[in-house]
Amino acid sequence: MFSYIVRRLAFGALTIVGVSIVVFVVMRILPGDPLIAIFGPEGFTKLTPEQRANYMSALGLSDPLALQYWHWVLDIARGQFGHSFFRAESVADTVARRGPLTAEIALLSVALSWIVGIPVAVLSALRPNSVIDNVTRFFSILFLAIPGFWFGMLIVLASLFWFGYKAPMAGVSLFADPWGNFQIIIGPAVVLGLGQAAYIARMARSSLLEVVREDFVRTARAKGLSGRLVITLHALPNALLPVITLSGILLGFVLAGSIPVERAFGTPGLGSTMFTAVNERDVFVMQNLVFLYAVVFVVLNIVVDLVIAWLDPRIHYR
Amino acid sequence: MSVTAPEFGELPAQVAAGRSLPVRVGSALWHFARRSPLSAFWGVVAVTIIVIAIAAPEIAPYAPLKSDFRHMTKPPDAVHWFGTDQIGRDTLSRLIYGSRASLAVAFGAVLLGTTFGAVWGLASGFLGGKFDMASQRVIEFLQSFPDLILAMAIAMALGAGTGTVIVAIAITRIPFGGRIIRAVVMSLKEMSYVEAARGLGASNLRLMARHILPQCIAPYLILATTHLGVAIIIEASLGFLGVGIPPPMPTWGNMLADALNSGLVPPWWLVLFPGAAITLTVLAFNLLGDGIRDALDPRLRGAV
Repeated sequence: MFSYIVRRLAFGALTIVGVSIVVFVVMRILPGDPLIAIFGPEGFTKLTPEQRANYMSALGLSDPLALQYWHWVLDIARGQFGHSFFRAESVADTVARRGPLTAEIALLSVALSWIVGIPVAVLSALRPNSVIDNVTRFFSILFLAIPGFWFGMLIVLASLFWFGYKAPMAGVSLFADPWGNFQIIIGPAVVLGLGQAAYIARMARSSLLEVVREDFVRTARAKGLSGRLVITLHALPNALLPVITLSGILLGFVLAGSIPVERAFGTPGLGSTMFTAVNERDVFVMQNLVFLYAVVFVVLNIVVDLVIAWLDPRIHYR
Repeated sequence: MSVTAPEFGELPAQVAAGRSLPVRVGSALWHFARRSPLSAFWGVVAVTIIVIAIAAPEIAPYAPLKSDFRHMTKPPDAVHWFGTDQIGRDTLSRLIYGSRASLAVAFGAVLLGTTFGAVWGLASGFLGGKFDMASQRVIEFLQSFPDLILAMAIAMALGAGTGTVIVAIAITRIPFGGRIIRAVVMSLKEMSYVEAARGLGASNLRLMARHILPQCIAPYLILATTHLGVAIIIEASLGFLGVGIPPPMPTWGNMLADALNSGLVPPWWLVLFPGAAITLTVLAFNLLGDGIRDALDPRLRGAV
């Protein structure tokens, strides 16, 4: 087990290095001039060659690529994550200020996806191909097709239409104003949570249907336990392992999905920062945010693997 | 599996000989429809959407970019069935033209990405060794990004345009093709018929092209169709976030972005219809993809 953990962490570190190289290649080497990105195609043509050279060296973009990469790595090691072209705040400070809101949304959405998805899956699996099963399957297929940001826009519109309600726009921390904070995060969390619940319900249903065919479930039935107890006490805990893995992967996708969803709700989280950065063509901010998102994704996957290894005694790791 | 079974073993020779290719395709489709009517229904919806996209100029009641200044921000009525936007452009016509962007990007990206991934997976699964090791690491790195974030970064770095959106989404599809085709190839290359061909002196290239590749076509088709829906959602998200196909060309994503930017309260018809178009299209392609997967190779259920 210990050697498995060490190996998993080593692979994770390698992946993070690889991820940083991919990000660097995408942001710096792909054929797109960062100055065109900053000034726009028209603004770029108005710059004289000297101005261009000056801007490039001021931004450190005329150094050799290997040196640029090294500077970036040092920057990350110092915990700075670079600066925006347009704002004084370092990316690290922006993340510290706006990240918590997005993290709350992500965690709440995962909780919601389990609260909705698991009971639905149990209902479906208890009576496969019944009316309930077909209705829930229809909804899970439907929710896989609905773009979250559109669903979010509809919720904003509907609450405004029928209740004249609009969630507060200013970001407030959970501790300063819990109610205001809740009003901001609940919309995006519901949208993202229902999107995940569709996957969770699907996975939990098929996993349950597999587990109920196993011997220990038959034994539990044979000793006279009721159907409900067999499912909740014996089958469900075993069926949840693949669901945990899936949930970890989905949590990573929720971080990405929150970008358009936060935009739809006007939530001042990290997703909105990403939206601003991409529209201002702020290459440095994007580079660091994309890297950070990927690191979170990689770390989440490692955590999930370790949790599964810890929960499931059947798996032996060398 | 008997090797000596003649072609069209189950059919009388004259029937088989008399059937032309279109008839055979037609009867295959008919069997598919009989076996899973639901997938067939969604297949018809998908084909209808494709036809609408191709025939957009014939179908659309107005030009998608033409402003009607007497009807600005008007709710749906008899003149403009789905209403008009802030500068009097007809929403229905823009939706119809938007289907072109959506489908062109989805098909382009999935074809490009899945094909590239499949060829890569074929090579790395067949050749194995160091090349396979390195390929697996690169694919792992690519998979360490949530799709949308990687697509956003690439689309931004390359600059706005239809081609760049296709490339950006295609790159996010590469790992799936690479992984699944590699797994298929790894199991195929241990088969005795491949061994036999190798024993007869076939070169690696010939083995890959003549003996392995044909077996990869079904998983490839399944992969491609099941990823169309995701590609459409990513395209719409990119458009919504302002890094998709740039305006004035209408796409469903940038129509929703326009609605959001139009003021404090976006008009409901500018929000409802483009999103409904996305949902319907993704639903159709997802369910058609599921049907095709179940028809071609049910073992891949859950894998792709």
